[in-house]
Amino acid sequence: MAKYILQRIVKGILSAICVVVLIMILVYSLMDRGNIFGGDSNYTKTQSNARVTYEQSRYQAFGYVDYVNYSDYITRQVKSGELDEEDRAAAAFIGQTPEKDSETAAEYIKKFTEEYESQGYTVVRLDADKKTNGRVKDGGQAAIFATRDKPMASRVISYFTGMFFIDNIHFVDEDTDIGERGLTFTLHDPLYGGEKFSPAIIGNGTKHKYLVYFDKKFPYFHQNLLTLNLGESYTVNRGVDVFETMTASQGTYVLSSVSYPTGHVEQSADDLHTATYAEGSLELSEMYAARFTDDYTNTITTKGSLSKLGYSFVIGIISTIIAYVLGLPIGILMARFKDGILDKIGTIYIVFIIAVPSLAYIFLFKAIGGSVFKLPTLFDMDSSSKLMFVLPIVSLALPSIANLMKWMRRYMIDQMNSDYVKFARSGGLSETEIFTKHIWKNAAVPLVHGIPASILFAMTGAIITERVYAVPGAGNLLTQAINKYDNGVIVGVALFYAILTVVSIILGDILMASVDPRISFTSKGR
Amino acid sequence: MYEELKSKTGLKTEELFAQVTHSDAESEKIAAPRYSYWKSVFRVFFRNKVNIVILSLLMFVIVFSYIYPALTDYDPYANLLDVAGKHLSPGDAMEHFGVGLKWILGSGASGEPTFDAVWNGAKISISLAFMCAAINMTIGVLLGAVWGFSKKVDIIMTEVYNIIGNVPMILIISVLSMLFSPTFWTMVFALTIVGWLSIAYFIRTQVVIIRDREYNLASRCLGTSTIKIAVKNILPFMTSVIVTLLATELPSYISYEVFLAYIGMGMSDMSLGRLIYAAEAAMVTPGWELEFWGPVAVVSIITIVLYVVGQNLGDASDPRTHM
Repeated sequence: MAKYILQRIVKGILSAICVVVLIMILVYSLMDRGNIFGGDSNYTKTQSNARVTYEQSRYQAFGYVDYVNYSDYITRQVKSGELDEEDRAAAAFIGQTPEKDSETAAEYIKKFTEEYESQGYTVVRLDADKKTNGRVKDGGQAAIFATRDKPMASRVISYFTGMFFIDNIHFVDEDTDIGERGLTFTLHDPLYGGEKFSPAIIGNGTKHKYLVYFDKKFPYFHQNLLTLNLGESYTVNRGVDVFETMTASQGTYVLSSVSYPTGHVEQSADDLHTATYAEGSLELSEMYAARFTDDYTNTITTKGSLSKLGYSFVIGIISTIIAYVLGLPIGILMARFKDGILDKIGTIYIVFIIAVPSLAYIFLFKAIGGSVFKLPTLFDMDSSSKLMFVLPIVSLALPSIANLMKWMRRYMIDQMNSDYVKFARSGGLSETEIFTKHIWKNAAVPLVHGIPASILFAMTGAIITERVYAVPGAGNLLTQAINKYDNGVIVGVALFYAILTVVSIILGDILMASVDPRISFTSKGR
Repeated sequence: MYEELKSKTGLKTEELFAQVTHSDAESEKIAAPRYSYWKSVFRVFFRNKVNIVILSLLMFVIVFSYIYPALTDYDPYANLLDVAGKHLSPGDAMEHFGVGLKWILGSGASGEPTFDAVWNGAKISISLAFMCAAINMTIGVLLGAVWGFSKKVDIIMTEVYNIIGNVPMILIISVLSMLFSPTFWTMVFALTIVGWLSIAYFIRTQVVIIRDREYNLASRCLGTSTIKIAVKNILPFMTSVIVTLLATELPSYISYEVFLAYIGMGMSDMSLGRLIYAAEAAMVTPGWELEFWGPVAVVSIITIVLYVVGQNLGDASDPRTHM
């Protein structure tokens, strides 16, 4: 059994990798990359050469190309000591045409061209764009840059190698002086005043300051040693990983009394445990200087409401439970009293749900719920009322009830004609006994297979339901990302869905095998 | 019986028998009523009176969505400049534009008759559903039969299914509609490019169930090719399964189109989905509700009718109900 499951997991991982490759081909190769400038006001503002370089920098941000600007190259040269500060200005100044370059500039431009062309880049030199009177147009300054399309293979490899990030003390650039690097284990977390017993591991040189800590939030124990990067967002939620976009709390800030490392105490929503390294931030901002003692200033704020995933999951899981609690017994009763009044009404209901577009009945539920039952029809994160959960839950539960009813009835009726049922009946068992003790157990086996899937997919949220009731859930993340061409999020969300599918099928098989002893995955040729 | 006949006719016992000459040709005939499959299907189908009602409703829907728009020329922007003609209730619209069938659902955002808009949309939506169903079912059923029958194909196709099945449909559709302009045919292409896969998988499962029956084994022993066994031995067995599947597929394309239009990824033609999407705001505005509920009601009627007719036809095409 263990070997079989391992095999399934390996196969699942492989198919998830294939899914990512396919999606990357779809997103990066097939979609017209010019679309990203559709709603971009900066693009329309820039002109001439500046527009070309802006285009390239955006392509890089969206992950289409590798792009190096000549001035960035010069800055790097200065940093690494290859170039003196004095020569910097001379080297960085590009002439209006190649002939007008100064000697130093020409030398470095040649170096730049050689270095990047050997790596497969195309080096582009844009000569100054002049007006008829000889003056340079707005944004028409000469520019040099190197660009190349990211090869698919390296994109896939770097995506998967970068997916798991293990925090280490060499995260911060080795040349930066940040004092002694290392991990400190303490039994008394300094954030709680250093007296309360609360073990923590604090790092210096790592990305996260607190690698392991305890706090009052579920699940109380937190770690930042291993973080998951599914894909960085660019437009939907700038610079934030998909996983974090889904799991970060939303709503209004929750203020509490926070004492900062400098001793400054203030009402704030900063969660200091989440501090990450931001190079040079302490020097740049007086606000940070008054509060922090090191560059670990980038904190996540505590907000009062659930995360996207949280809202979707709460609504999804409650409706799933309701669906199983109601759908299965009704399906059994329909089969038990086949062709009876309940069976007929139930069948009409099932036909209604299957045939009518989900959009239509969700709006119908919304209209009925709003006018007849006076329930809130729009979600409001800041409201403490639990009533706003009712309509989304009902809208999700009613179709799943119909689905479960349909299959439960089908499986029960199929089982009713089996020999063992006739035998039980001839043996004098009552109908109720046959149904509850024999048929039900056999009929439920195929339905058990779907339980892990319905629990796991409760997290992904339902697109229409969430949109109709304005629930701030995870359901519309994919459509939002597609509409905004946020490639990182598209890939991340799709991978997340693929993993959920793989896991839920494996769990379903295991659950089915554990419920029904006749099912075994070990015997060959099953 | 015998005594009765004797007293009625007054004949002797021997005279009640008549000589029949033996005929070789006659004795070869099998004395059962002639059985025609499709005749039986329709006999069973029309035995249920509900089906007649639903079928006439289907005819009504088809007439309205194909013949009505052809007879009336509908221009959504004909009344665009008529400021007083927008968002009218049926009563007001008839007062404003004159009494007519096309105003019984009132007028829409640019003064167009909602009734005409709905049926023009229905034409597009139904055409889309039929087109997609025809393509997907043909490819899906044929490939599914081969997939289920050949074990080599099964290994490859199952992996393909596991991978492609995991790529979100919305992504494929949106990429395609960005590649080409979102027209009717782009939509058909997007819905069929991977749509056949799930149908083929369903058919594959059905085929696997009956593939190892004795008569197929016999066929194989006689050297029949796999494709011939799939098409001749297995497909006829599955007529009712296929019709039932078609009954769920047809309405599902209409529903899916509505869904896509609602999340803003629909086609550019004013299908029912686009109408619903465009009229969403009208739903909460008092007096404008018909603009929203009109298309919603029509789309629901179409899908329910298609589904019920298909399901009952599927039941009727199962030979076990032909007794």
